[in-house]
Amino acid sequence: MSHAFELKQAAVSYNGTAAVHGIDLTIATDEAVAVVGPSGAGKTTLLRLLNGTVRSTGGHIAVLGRSLREMPPRELRGVRARIGFIHQDLSLVPNLRVIQNVLSGRVGDQGFFGSLRHVFFPPRDAVHEVHRILERVGIPEKLYERTDTLSGGQRQRVAIARALYQEPEALLADEPVSSVDPARARDTVALLTDVCRERGLALCMSLHNLDLAREFFPRLIGMRSGQIRFDQPTAKLTDGDFEALYNLERDEMLKA
Amino acid sequence: MTPVDRDEAIRALRSRRPRNRFARWTGIVLLALTAFAWTRPELELGKLFRQRTKANVTRFLGEVRPYPLQEQPWDGGVFGGWLETTLGDGVGRRAVLGTLALSVAAICLAGLIALLTCLFATRNVAHPEPFLPGASPPTRWRTYAWRVVVWATRLVYIFARAIPEWIWAFLLLTLLGLGAWPAVIALAIHNTGILGRLYAEVIENLPARTPRALRALGASRTQIATVALYPAAQGRFLLYFFYRWETCVREATVLGLLGAAGLGKEILQAGAGDRHDEIVLFVLLGSALIIAGDVVSAVARSVVRRAR
Repeated sequence: MSHAFELKQAAVSYNGTAAVHGIDLTIATDEAVAVVGPSGAGKTTLLRLLNGTVRSTGGHIAVLGRSLREMPPRELRGVRARIGFIHQDLSLVPNLRVIQNVLSGRVGDQGFFGSLRHVFFPPRDAVHEVHRILERVGIPEKLYERTDTLSGGQRQRVAIARALYQEPEALLADEPVSSVDPARARDTVALLTDVCRERGLALCMSLHNLDLAREFFPRLIGMRSGQIRFDQPTAKLTDGDFEALYNLERDEMLKA
Repeated sequence: MTPVDRDEAIRALRSRRPRNRFARWTGIVLLALTAFAWTRPELELGKLFRQRTKANVTRFLGEVRPYPLQEQPWDGGVFGGWLETTLGDGVGRRAVLGTLALSVAAICLAGLIALLTCLFATRNVAHPEPFLPGASPPTRWRTYAWRVVVWATRLVYIFARAIPEWIWAFLLLTLLGLGAWPAVIALAIHNTGILGRLYAEVIENLPARTPRALRALGASRTQIATVALYPAAQGRFLLYFFYRWETCVREATVLGLLGAAGLGKEILQAGAGDRHDEIVLFVLLGSALIIAGDVVSAVARSVVRRAR
Protein backbone atom coordinates (compact mmCIF):
# COMPACT_ATOMS: atom_id res chain seq x y z
CA MET A 1 0.00 0.00 0.00
CA SER A 2 1.57 3.23 -1.08
CA HIS A 3 -1.36 5.64 -0.97
CA ALA A 4 -2.82 7.05 2.20
CA PHE A 5 -5.75 8.53 0.29
CA GLU A 6 -7.05 7.84 -3.18
CA LEU A 7 -10.04 9.71 -4.63
CA LYS A 8 -11.51 9.18 -8.09
CA GLN A 9 -14.21 11.53 -9.34
CA ALA A 10 -15.37 11.96 -5.73
CA ALA A 11 -18.35 14.23 -5.11
CA VAL A 12 -20.36 15.46 -2.14
CA SER A 13 -23.59 17.39 -2.28
CA TYR A 14 -25.65 18.78 0.57
CA ASN A 15 -29.40 18.90 -0.18
CA GLY A 16 -28.75 18.83 -3.90
CA THR A 17 -26.04 21.53 -3.94
CA ALA A 18 -22.61 20.24 -4.90
CA ALA A 19 -19.99 21.08 -2.24
CA VAL A 20 -17.19 19.30 -4.09
CA HIS A 21 -17.28 17.36 -7.34
CA GLY A 22 -14.98 15.61 -9.79
CA ILE A 23 -12.19 15.27 -7.23
CA ASP A 24 -9.22 13.16 -8.42
CA LEU A 25 -6.50 13.03 -5.79
CA THR A 26 -3.89 10.67 -4.40
CA ILE A 27 -1.75 11.35 -1.36
CA ALA A 28 1.17 9.03 -0.57
CA THR A 29 1.70 7.59 2.91
CA ASP A 30 4.57 9.93 3.79
CA GLU A 31 3.52 13.03 1.86
CA ALA A 32 2.73 16.51 3.15
CA VAL A 33 0.08 18.42 1.20
CA ALA A 34 -1.62 21.74 1.78
CA VAL A 35 -5.03 22.65 0.40
CA VAL A 36 -5.52 26.33 -0.41
CA GLY A 37 -8.35 28.33 -1.89
CA PRO A 38 -10.97 30.95 -1.13
CA SER A 39 -13.68 30.56 1.53
CA GLY A 40 -16.44 28.21 0.50
CA ALA A 41 -14.24 26.40 -2.04
CA GLY A 42 -14.86 23.00 -0.42
CA LYS A 43 -11.62 22.56 1.53
CA THR A 44 -13.31 21.40 4.73
CA THR A 45 -15.59 19.03 2.83
CA LEU A 46 -12.56 17.53 1.07
CA LEU A 47 -10.78 16.94 4.39
CA ARG A 48 -13.86 15.38 5.90
CA LEU A 49 -14.14 13.07 2.91
CA LEU A 50 -10.65 11.82 3.72
CA ASN A 51 -11.54 10.57 7.20
CA GLY A 52 -14.97 9.34 6.21
CA THR A 53 -16.99 11.82 8.27
CA VAL A 54 -18.98 13.09 5.31
CA ARG A 55 -20.79 10.70 2.98
CA SER A 56 -19.72 10.90 -0.64
CA THR A 57 -22.50 11.16 -3.18
CA GLY A 58 -20.41 9.84 -6.05
CA GLY A 59 -17.05 8.53 -7.18
CA HIS A 60 -14.61 6.24 -5.44
CA ILE A 61 -12.75 6.85 -2.19
CA ALA A 62 -10.07 4.66 -0.67
CA VAL A 63 -8.48 5.46 2.68
CA LEU A 64 -5.38 3.58 3.83
CA GLY A 65 -5.98 1.12 0.99
CA ARG A 66 -9.62 0.38 1.86
CA SER A 67 -12.63 1.50 -0.11
CA LEU A 68 -15.10 3.45 2.02
CA ARG A 69 -18.05 2.57 -0.18
CA GLU A 70 -20.66 0.71 1.85
CA MET A 71 -18.18 -0.04 4.59
CA PRO A 72 -19.94 -1.40 7.71
CA PRO A 73 -20.00 1.03 10.70
CA ARG A 74 -17.58 -1.00 12.84
CA GLU A 75 -14.93 -1.05 10.12
CA LEU A 76 -15.47 2.64 9.38
CA ARG A 77 -14.84 3.35 13.05
CA GLY A 78 -11.61 1.37 12.73
CA VAL A 79 -10.49 3.42 9.72
CA ARG A 80 -11.35 6.71 11.46
CA ALA A 81 -9.34 5.59 14.50
CA ARG A 82 -6.26 5.39 12.26
CA ILE A 83 -6.59 8.98 11.02
CA GLY A 84 -5.91 11.99 13.22
CA PHE A 85 -8.00 15.11 12.67
CA ILE A 86 -7.21 18.53 14.12
CA HIS A 87 -10.36 20.62 14.10
CA GLN A 88 -10.48 24.35 13.52
CA ASP A 89 -12.10 24.87 16.94
CA LEU A 90 -9.77 22.24 18.51
CA SER A 91 -12.75 20.35 20.01
CA LEU A 92 -11.20 19.83 23.46
CA VAL A 93 -13.16 19.26 26.67
CA PRO A 94 -12.46 22.50 28.56
CA ASN A 95 -12.97 21.26 32.14
CA LEU A 96 -10.86 18.11 31.84
CA ARG A 97 -7.16 18.04 32.52
CA VAL A 98 -4.73 18.09 29.61
CA ILE A 99 -3.75 14.46 30.22
CA GLN A 100 -7.39 13.33 30.00
CA ASN A 101 -7.95 15.21 26.76
CA VAL A 102 -4.85 13.62 25.26
CA LEU A 103 -5.71 10.13 26.56
CA SER A 104 -9.14 10.40 24.91
CA GLY A 105 -7.38 10.31 21.52
CA ARG A 106 -7.28 6.53 21.64
CA VAL A 107 -10.93 5.76 22.46
CA GLY A 108 -11.57 4.79 18.82
CA ASP A 109 -9.67 1.52 19.47
CA GLN A 110 -11.28 0.80 22.84
CA GLY A 111 -14.53 -0.48 24.23
CA PHE A 112 -16.66 1.65 26.50
CA PHE A 113 -15.34 0.49 29.88
CA GLY A 114 -11.78 0.14 28.57
CA SER A 115 -11.81 3.76 27.42
CA LEU A 116 -13.25 4.98 30.74
CA ARG A 117 -10.46 3.26 32.64
CA HIS A 118 -7.87 4.48 30.15
CA VAL A 119 -8.93 8.15 30.37
CA PHE A 120 -9.58 8.40 34.11
CA PHE A 121 -7.24 5.75 35.57
CA PRO A 122 -4.48 5.48 32.98
CA PRO A 123 -1.71 2.87 33.33
CA ARG A 124 1.85 4.05 33.94
CA ASP A 125 3.09 3.62 30.37
CA ALA A 126 0.12 5.58 28.99
CA VAL A 127 1.00 8.51 31.28
CA HIS A 128 4.63 8.23 30.14
CA GLU A 129 3.55 8.25 26.52
CA VAL A 130 1.40 11.35 27.00
CA HIS A 131 4.27 13.08 28.80
CA ARG A 132 6.65 12.19 25.95
CA ILE A 133 4.23 13.60 23.35
CA LEU A 134 3.64 16.78 25.35
CA GLU A 135 7.43 17.12 25.56
CA ARG A 136 7.58 16.87 21.78
CA VAL A 137 4.93 19.57 21.26
CA GLY A 138 6.57 21.77 23.90
CA ILE A 139 4.20 21.80 26.90
CA PRO A 140 5.20 18.86 29.18
CA GLU A 141 4.67 20.98 32.32
CA LYS A 142 0.94 21.30 31.51
CA LEU A 143 0.27 17.56 31.95
CA TYR A 144 -2.12 17.91 34.89
CA GLU A 145 -3.46 21.43 34.22
CA ARG A 146 -7.13 22.03 33.44
CA THR A 147 -7.42 22.58 29.70
CA ASP A 148 -9.45 25.80 29.97
CA THR A 149 -6.67 27.51 31.91
CA LEU A 150 -4.32 27.20 28.92
CA SER A 151 -3.68 29.89 26.29
CA GLY A 152 -4.93 29.50 22.71
CA GLY A 153 -1.53 28.40 21.45
CA GLN A 154 -1.12 25.86 24.27
CA ARG A 155 -4.58 24.45 23.63
CA GLN A 156 -3.61 23.99 20.02
CA ARG A 157 -0.65 21.92 21.22
CA VAL A 158 -3.01 19.79 23.29
CA ALA A 159 -5.15 19.13 20.21
CA ILE A 160 -2.05 18.11 18.28
CA ALA A 161 -0.91 15.89 21.16
CA ARG A 162 -4.29 14.16 21.21
CA ALA A 163 -4.07 13.48 17.48
CA LEU A 164 -0.52 12.10 17.91
CA TYR A 165 -1.47 9.93 20.89
CA GLN A 166 -4.04 8.32 18.60
CA GLU A 167 -1.00 6.84 16.76
CA PRO A 168 -2.58 7.60 13.39
CA GLU A 169 -1.23 6.70 9.98
CA ALA A 170 -2.29 10.03 8.54
CA LEU A 171 -3.02 13.46 9.97
CA LEU A 172 -5.64 15.90 8.69
CA ALA A 173 -5.83 19.50 9.86
CA ASP A 174 -8.61 21.94 9.02
CA GLU A 175 -7.38 25.55 9.22
CA PRO A 176 -5.46 24.78 12.42
CA VAL A 177 -3.87 28.24 12.60
CA SER A 178 -6.72 30.53 11.57
CA SER A 179 -7.23 31.98 15.06
CA VAL A 180 -3.67 32.69 16.23
CA ASP A 181 -1.17 35.43 15.42
CA PRO A 182 1.33 35.00 12.53
CA ALA A 183 4.32 33.97 14.69
CA ARG A 184 2.35 31.26 16.51
CA ALA A 185 0.79 30.12 13.23
CA ARG A 186 4.22 29.59 11.73
CA ASP A 187 5.36 27.65 14.82
CA THR A 188 2.37 25.36 14.71
CA VAL A 189 2.64 24.59 11.00
CA ALA A 190 6.36 23.90 11.43
CA LEU A 191 5.62 21.57 14.35
CA LEU A 192 2.98 19.65 12.43
CA THR A 193 5.11 19.18 9.31
CA ASP A 194 8.15 18.18 11.41
CA VAL A 195 6.25 15.66 13.52
CA CYS A 196 4.66 14.06 10.48
CA ARG A 197 8.05 13.76 8.78
CA GLU A 198 9.60 12.16 11.90
CA ARG A 199 6.80 9.64 12.25
CA GLY A 200 6.28 9.01 8.55
CA LEU A 201 2.67 10.20 8.58
CA ALA A 202 0.75 11.54 5.63
CA LEU A 203 -0.31 15.14 6.31
CA CYS A 204 -3.07 17.06 4.61
CA MET A 205 -3.81 20.55 5.90
CA SER A 206 -6.10 23.30 4.68
CA LEU A 207 -4.60 26.77 5.04
CA HIS A 208 -5.66 30.35 4.44
CA ASN A 209 -2.13 31.61 4.77
CA LEU A 210 -0.47 31.20 1.35
CA ASP A 211 3.02 32.12 2.56
CA LEU A 212 2.99 29.31 5.15
CA ALA A 213 1.62 26.87 2.58
CA ARG A 214 4.40 27.71 0.12
CA GLU A 215 7.12 27.64 2.76
CA PHE A 216 6.30 24.33 4.44
CA PHE A 217 4.61 22.13 1.85
CA PRO A 218 6.28 20.61 -1.22
CA ARG A 219 2.92 20.06 -2.90
CA LEU A 220 -0.12 22.34 -3.04
CA ILE A 221 -3.70 21.73 -4.06
CA GLY A 222 -5.73 24.75 -5.13
CA MET A 223 -9.48 24.51 -4.75
CA ARG A 224 -12.23 26.76 -6.00
CA SER A 225 -15.98 26.25 -6.43
CA GLY A 226 -15.78 22.67 -5.20
CA GLN A 227 -13.16 21.60 -7.73
CA ILE A 228 -9.40 21.13 -7.80
CA ARG A 229 -7.93 23.93 -9.94
CA PHE A 230 -4.30 22.90 -9.56
CA ASP A 231 -2.33 20.09 -7.93
CA GLN A 232 1.36 20.84 -8.37
CA PRO A 233 4.76 20.77 -6.71
CA THR A 234 5.08 24.12 -4.97
CA ALA A 235 8.21 25.01 -6.93
CA LYS A 236 6.33 24.91 -10.20
CA LEU A 237 3.55 27.27 -9.10
CA THR A 238 3.77 30.95 -9.99
CA ASP A 239 2.22 34.00 -8.38
CA GLY A 240 -0.13 34.10 -11.35
CA ASP A 241 -1.57 30.70 -10.39
CA PHE A 242 -2.49 31.96 -6.92
CA GLU A 243 -3.92 35.20 -8.24
CA ALA A 244 -6.12 33.24 -10.61
CA LEU A 245 -7.23 31.00 -7.72
CA TYR A 246 -8.33 33.88 -5.51
CA ASN A 247 -9.46 36.32 -8.18
CA LEU A 248 -13.16 35.75 -7.72
CA GLU A 249 -15.84 37.00 -10.04
CA ARG A 250 -18.19 39.42 -8.36
CA ASP A 251 -21.08 36.99 -7.98
CA GLU A 252 -18.77 34.27 -6.65
CA MET A 253 -17.48 36.72 -4.06
CA LEU A 254 -20.98 37.38 -2.83
CA LYS A 255 -21.78 33.70 -2.61
CA ALA A 256 -18.76 32.84 -0.45
CA MET B 1 15.03 10.94 29.80
CA THR B 2 15.12 7.53 31.48
CA PRO B 3 11.82 5.97 32.61
CA VAL B 4 12.82 6.59 36.23
CA ASP B 5 13.50 10.28 35.56
CA ARG B 6 10.19 10.52 33.73
CA ASP B 7 8.37 8.93 36.67
CA GLU B 8 9.99 11.52 38.90
CA ALA B 9 8.98 14.41 36.63
CA ILE B 10 5.40 13.19 36.32
CA ARG B 11 5.11 12.69 40.07
CA ALA B 12 6.34 16.24 40.64
CA LEU B 13 3.77 17.61 38.18
CA ARG B 14 1.01 15.53 39.75
CA SER B 15 1.76 16.77 43.25
CA ARG B 16 1.54 20.35 41.96
CA ARG B 17 -1.72 19.81 40.06
CA PRO B 18 -4.49 22.31 40.75
CA ARG B 19 -7.20 20.78 42.89
CA ASN B 20 -10.72 22.00 43.46
CA ARG B 21 -11.47 21.26 47.08
CA PHE B 22 -15.05 22.54 46.85
CA ALA B 23 -15.90 20.16 43.98
CA ARG B 24 -14.27 17.26 45.80
CA TRP B 25 -16.17 17.83 49.04
CA THR B 26 -19.44 18.38 47.19
CA GLY B 27 -18.94 15.00 45.53
CA ILE B 28 -18.19 13.29 48.84
CA VAL B 29 -21.18 14.88 50.60
CA LEU B 30 -23.55 13.98 47.74
CA LEU B 31 -22.30 10.40 47.76
CA ALA B 32 -22.84 10.15 51.51
CA LEU B 33 -26.34 11.66 51.26
CA THR B 34 -27.29 9.22 48.50
CA ALA B 35 -26.07 6.26 50.53
CA PHE B 36 -27.94 7.59 53.57
CA ALA B 37 -31.22 8.07 51.68
CA TRP B 38 -31.22 4.63 50.12
CA THR B 39 -30.39 2.80 53.32
CA ARG B 40 -33.23 4.38 55.32
CA PRO B 41 -35.86 1.90 56.59
CA GLU B 42 -38.61 3.85 54.76
CA LEU B 43 -37.06 3.01 51.42
CA GLU B 44 -36.56 -0.69 52.10
CA LEU B 45 -37.03 -2.50 48.80
CA GLY B 46 -38.94 -5.36 50.45
CA LYS B 47 -41.89 -3.02 51.05
CA LEU B 48 -42.34 -2.55 47.32
CA PHE B 49 -42.79 -6.27 46.72
CA ARG B 50 -44.94 -7.38 49.63
CA GLN B 51 -47.59 -10.06 49.31
CA ARG B 52 -50.39 -7.53 49.78
CA THR B 53 -49.12 -5.33 46.94
CA LYS B 54 -49.32 -8.32 44.65
CA ALA B 55 -52.91 -9.02 45.70
CA ASN B 56 -53.82 -5.36 45.14
CA VAL B 57 -52.40 -5.42 41.64
CA THR B 58 -54.35 -8.58 40.70
CA ARG B 59 -57.57 -7.14 42.10
CA PHE B 60 -57.09 -3.84 40.27
CA LEU B 61 -56.36 -5.54 36.93
CA GLY B 62 -59.57 -7.56 37.42
CA GLU B 63 -61.63 -4.41 38.02
CA VAL B 64 -60.25 -2.74 34.92
CA ARG B 65 -61.76 -5.28 32.55
CA PRO B 66 -65.02 -3.89 31.08
CA TYR B 67 -67.81 -5.07 33.39
CA PRO B 68 -69.89 -6.93 30.78
CA LEU B 69 -66.74 -8.96 30.00
CA GLN B 70 -65.74 -9.85 33.57
CA GLU B 71 -65.28 -13.56 34.29
CA GLN B 72 -66.16 -14.24 30.69
CA PRO B 73 -64.11 -15.07 27.57
CA TRP B 74 -63.06 -12.14 25.39
CA ASP B 75 -65.71 -11.11 22.88
CA GLY B 76 -65.10 -8.26 20.45
CA GLY B 77 -68.80 -7.69 19.92
CA VAL B 78 -69.54 -7.31 23.62
CA PHE B 79 -66.55 -4.98 23.96
CA GLY B 80 -67.81 -2.85 21.05
CA GLY B 81 -71.22 -2.63 22.67
CA TRP B 82 -69.68 -1.54 25.98
CA LEU B 83 -67.65 1.15 24.18
CA GLU B 84 -70.77 2.37 22.47
CA THR B 85 -72.84 2.67 25.63
CA THR B 86 -69.98 4.37 27.45
CA LEU B 87 -69.07 6.83 24.71
CA GLY B 88 -72.20 6.43 22.62
CA ASP B 89 -73.98 9.72 23.07
CA GLY B 90 -70.76 11.55 22.41
CA VAL B 91 -69.67 11.69 26.04
CA GLY B 92 -66.09 10.65 25.32
CA ARG B 93 -65.74 12.85 22.26
CA ARG B 94 -67.23 15.82 24.05
CA ALA B 95 -64.97 15.25 27.05
CA VAL B 96 -61.80 15.06 24.90
CA LEU B 97 -62.74 18.13 22.85
CA GLY B 98 -63.70 19.96 26.01
CA THR B 99 -60.31 19.29 27.59
CA LEU B 100 -58.57 20.34 24.36
CA ALA B 101 -60.56 23.58 24.13
CA LEU B 102 -59.81 24.32 27.76
CA SER B 103 -56.06 23.99 27.26
CA VAL B 104 -55.98 26.00 24.02
CA ALA B 105 -58.04 28.84 25.50
CA ALA B 106 -55.81 28.94 28.57
CA ILE B 107 -52.47 28.93 26.76
CA CYS B 108 -53.61 31.57 24.24
CA LEU B 109 -54.63 33.87 27.07
CA ALA B 110 -51.38 33.26 28.92
CA GLY B 111 -49.25 33.71 25.78
CA LEU B 112 -50.94 36.97 24.83
CA ILE B 113 -50.67 38.51 28.30
CA ALA B 114 -47.06 37.38 28.65
CA LEU B 115 -46.22 38.79 25.21
CA LEU B 116 -47.70 42.17 26.07
CA THR B 117 -46.21 42.44 29.56
CA CYS B 118 -42.80 40.74 29.35
CA LEU B 119 -41.01 43.92 28.26
CA PHE B 120 -41.80 45.50 31.63
CA ALA B 121 -39.82 42.71 33.30
CA THR B 122 -36.64 43.13 31.24
CA ARG B 123 -33.77 45.13 32.62
CA ASN B 124 -32.62 46.26 29.16
CA VAL B 125 -35.88 47.68 27.76
CA ALA B 126 -37.44 48.78 31.05
CA HIS B 127 -34.51 51.07 31.75
CA PRO B 128 -34.21 54.87 31.77
CA GLU B 129 -31.70 54.61 28.93
CA PRO B 130 -32.51 51.53 26.84
CA PHE B 131 -29.43 50.16 25.03
CA LEU B 132 -27.64 53.53 24.61
CA PRO B 133 -26.82 56.41 26.96
CA GLY B 134 -28.57 59.74 26.51
CA ALA B 135 -27.03 63.20 26.52
CA SER B 136 -27.16 63.63 30.30
CA PRO B 137 -27.35 60.93 32.98
CA PRO B 138 -30.91 60.02 34.01
CA THR B 139 -32.21 61.46 37.26
CA ARG B 140 -32.12 59.16 40.22
CA TRP B 141 -35.92 59.29 40.39
CA ARG B 142 -36.31 57.95 36.83
CA THR B 143 -33.81 55.18 37.49
CA TYR B 144 -35.70 54.06 40.59
CA ALA B 145 -39.07 54.31 38.84
CA TRP B 146 -37.98 51.93 36.10
CA ARG B 147 -36.44 49.58 38.62
CA VAL B 148 -39.76 49.48 40.47
CA VAL B 149 -41.55 48.67 37.20
CA VAL B 150 -39.21 45.71 36.57
CA TRP B 151 -39.48 44.30 40.06
CA ALA B 152 -43.22 44.82 40.34
CA THR B 153 -43.81 42.96 37.06
CA ARG B 154 -41.53 40.16 38.16
CA LEU B 155 -43.24 39.95 41.52
CA VAL B 156 -46.63 39.58 39.81
CA TYR B 157 -45.20 36.81 37.62
CA ILE B 158 -43.69 35.04 40.62
CA PHE B 159 -46.98 35.28 42.52
CA ALA B 160 -48.91 33.92 39.52
CA ARG B 161 -46.68 30.89 39.08
CA ALA B 162 -45.87 30.23 42.73
CA ILE B 163 -49.48 29.17 43.34
CA PRO B 164 -50.20 25.84 41.62
CA GLU B 165 -52.90 25.84 38.96
CA TRP B 166 -55.20 23.56 40.97
CA ILE B 167 -55.18 25.95 43.92
CA TRP B 168 -56.03 28.83 41.57
CA ALA B 169 -58.85 26.68 40.17
CA PHE B 170 -60.07 25.83 43.64
CA LEU B 171 -60.19 29.51 44.62
CA LEU B 172 -61.91 30.50 41.36
CA LEU B 173 -64.42 27.69 41.76
CA THR B 174 -65.85 29.43 44.79
CA LEU B 175 -66.11 32.68 42.81
CA LEU B 176 -67.30 31.42 39.44
CA GLY B 177 -69.05 28.18 40.29
CA LEU B 178 -68.79 24.88 38.40
CA GLY B 179 -67.81 24.92 34.74
CA ALA B 180 -64.80 25.38 32.46
CA TRP B 181 -63.99 29.00 33.31
CA PRO B 182 -62.25 28.40 36.66
CA ALA B 183 -59.93 25.89 34.98
CA VAL B 184 -59.20 28.14 31.99
CA ILE B 185 -58.42 31.17 34.14
CA ALA B 186 -56.42 29.15 36.63
CA LEU B 187 -54.24 27.69 33.87
CA ALA B 188 -53.93 31.12 32.22
CA ILE B 189 -52.77 32.80 35.44
CA HIS B 190 -50.21 30.16 36.32
CA ASN B 191 -48.82 30.01 32.76
CA THR B 192 -48.69 33.80 32.40
CA GLY B 193 -46.31 33.75 35.34
CA ILE B 194 -44.12 31.13 33.70
CA LEU B 195 -44.22 32.44 30.13
CA GLY B 196 -43.75 36.06 31.21
CA ARG B 197 -40.62 35.14 33.12
CA LEU B 198 -39.25 33.02 30.23
CA TYR B 199 -40.08 35.65 27.59
CA ALA B 200 -38.42 38.41 29.62
CA GLU B 201 -35.35 36.19 29.97
CA VAL B 202 -35.22 35.61 26.21
CA ILE B 203 -35.47 39.35 25.49
CA GLU B 204 -32.75 40.13 28.02
CA ASN B 205 -30.40 37.57 26.52
CA LEU B 206 -30.78 38.69 22.91
CA PRO B 207 -27.57 40.16 21.47
CA ALA B 208 -27.64 43.91 22.08
CA ARG B 209 -26.04 44.98 18.80
CA THR B 210 -29.13 45.27 16.64
CA PRO B 211 -31.34 47.09 19.19
CA ARG B 212 -28.41 49.40 19.91
CA ALA B 213 -28.11 50.20 16.20
CA LEU B 214 -31.84 50.94 16.01
CA ARG B 215 -31.64 53.12 19.11
CA ALA B 216 -28.73 54.92 17.45
CA LEU B 217 -30.93 55.85 14.49
CA GLY B 218 -33.56 57.30 16.78
CA ALA B 219 -35.99 54.44 17.55
CA SER B 220 -38.20 54.44 20.64
CA ARG B 221 -38.58 51.53 23.06
CA THR B 222 -41.73 50.21 21.41
CA GLN B 223 -40.24 50.60 17.94
CA ILE B 224 -37.15 48.64 18.97
CA ALA B 225 -39.37 45.96 20.48
CA THR B 226 -41.63 45.51 17.47
CA VAL B 227 -38.95 45.86 14.80
CA ALA B 228 -36.03 44.02 16.41
CA LEU B 229 -36.72 42.27 19.73
CA TYR B 230 -39.95 40.39 19.04
CA PRO B 231 -38.88 39.15 15.57
CA ALA B 232 -35.51 37.99 16.92
CA ALA B 233 -37.16 36.23 19.87
CA GLN B 234 -40.01 34.73 17.84
CA GLY B 235 -38.48 31.25 17.51
CA ARG B 236 -37.82 30.80 21.22
CA PHE B 237 -41.16 32.41 22.15
CA LEU B 238 -42.97 29.78 20.09
CA LEU B 239 -40.86 26.97 21.55
CA TYR B 240 -41.79 27.98 25.09
CA PHE B 241 -45.42 28.55 24.08
CA PHE B 242 -45.83 25.03 22.72
CA TYR B 243 -43.90 23.54 25.59
CA ARG B 244 -46.30 25.14 28.07
CA TRP B 245 -49.26 24.11 25.93
CA GLU B 246 -48.20 20.46 26.36
CA THR B 247 -48.35 20.90 30.12
CA CYS B 248 -51.68 22.72 29.78
CA VAL B 249 -53.25 19.73 28.01
CA ARG B 250 -52.11 17.51 30.86
CA GLU B 251 -53.21 19.91 33.59
CA ALA B 252 -56.59 20.50 31.92
CA THR B 253 -57.41 16.83 32.55
CA VAL B 254 -56.39 17.09 36.18
CA LEU B 255 -58.32 20.34 36.73
CA GLY B 256 -61.42 18.71 35.31
CA LEU B 257 -61.20 16.44 38.33
CA LEU B 258 -62.22 19.43 40.46
CA GLY B 259 -65.63 19.06 38.88
CA ALA B 260 -65.09 21.69 36.30
CA ALA B 261 -65.28 20.10 32.87
CA GLY B 262 -63.91 17.75 30.26
CA LEU B 263 -62.30 14.41 30.91
CA GLY B 264 -61.72 15.13 34.58
CA LYS B 265 -65.44 15.50 35.17
CA GLU B 266 -66.17 12.17 33.48
CA ILE B 267 -63.43 10.47 35.49
CA LEU B 268 -64.89 11.89 38.68
CA GLN B 269 -68.41 10.77 37.79
CA ALA B 270 -67.27 7.27 36.84
CA GLY B 271 -65.37 7.11 40.12
CA ALA B 272 -68.42 8.22 42.07
CA GLY B 273 -70.41 5.43 40.38
CA ASP B 274 -67.65 2.90 41.17
CA ARG B 275 -67.24 2.18 37.43
CA HIS B 276 -63.53 1.35 37.40
CA ASP B 277 -63.61 0.18 33.80
CA GLU B 278 -64.82 3.62 32.67
CA ILE B 279 -62.21 5.41 34.77
CA VAL B 280 -59.48 3.51 32.94
CA LEU B 281 -61.08 4.24 29.58
CA PHE B 282 -61.15 7.99 30.26
CA VAL B 283 -57.62 7.98 31.59
CA LEU B 284 -56.51 6.26 28.38
CA LEU B 285 -58.41 8.85 26.32
CA GLY B 286 -56.63 11.57 28.29
CA SER B 287 -53.21 10.09 27.58
CA ALA B 288 -54.12 9.74 23.89
CA LEU B 289 -54.90 13.46 23.88
CA ILE B 290 -51.58 14.25 25.56
CA ILE B 291 -49.71 12.11 23.05
CA ALA B 292 -51.49 13.89 20.20
CA GLY B 293 -50.65 17.25 21.76
CA ASP B 294 -47.04 16.16 22.13
CA VAL B 295 -46.82 15.23 18.44
CA VAL B 296 -48.42 18.49 17.28
CA SER B 297 -46.13 20.53 19.51
CA ALA B 298 -43.03 18.61 18.36
CA VAL B 299 -43.95 19.15 14.70
CA ALA B 300 -44.69 22.85 15.24
CA ARG B 301 -41.42 23.39 17.11
CA SER B 302 -39.32 21.62 14.50
CA VAL B 303 -40.99 23.65 11.74
CA VAL B 304 -40.22 26.85 13.63
CA ARG B 305 -36.64 25.75 14.20
CA ARG B 306 -36.10 24.90 10.54
CA ALA B 307 -37.64 28.14 9.38
CA ARG B 308 -35.07 30.12 11.32
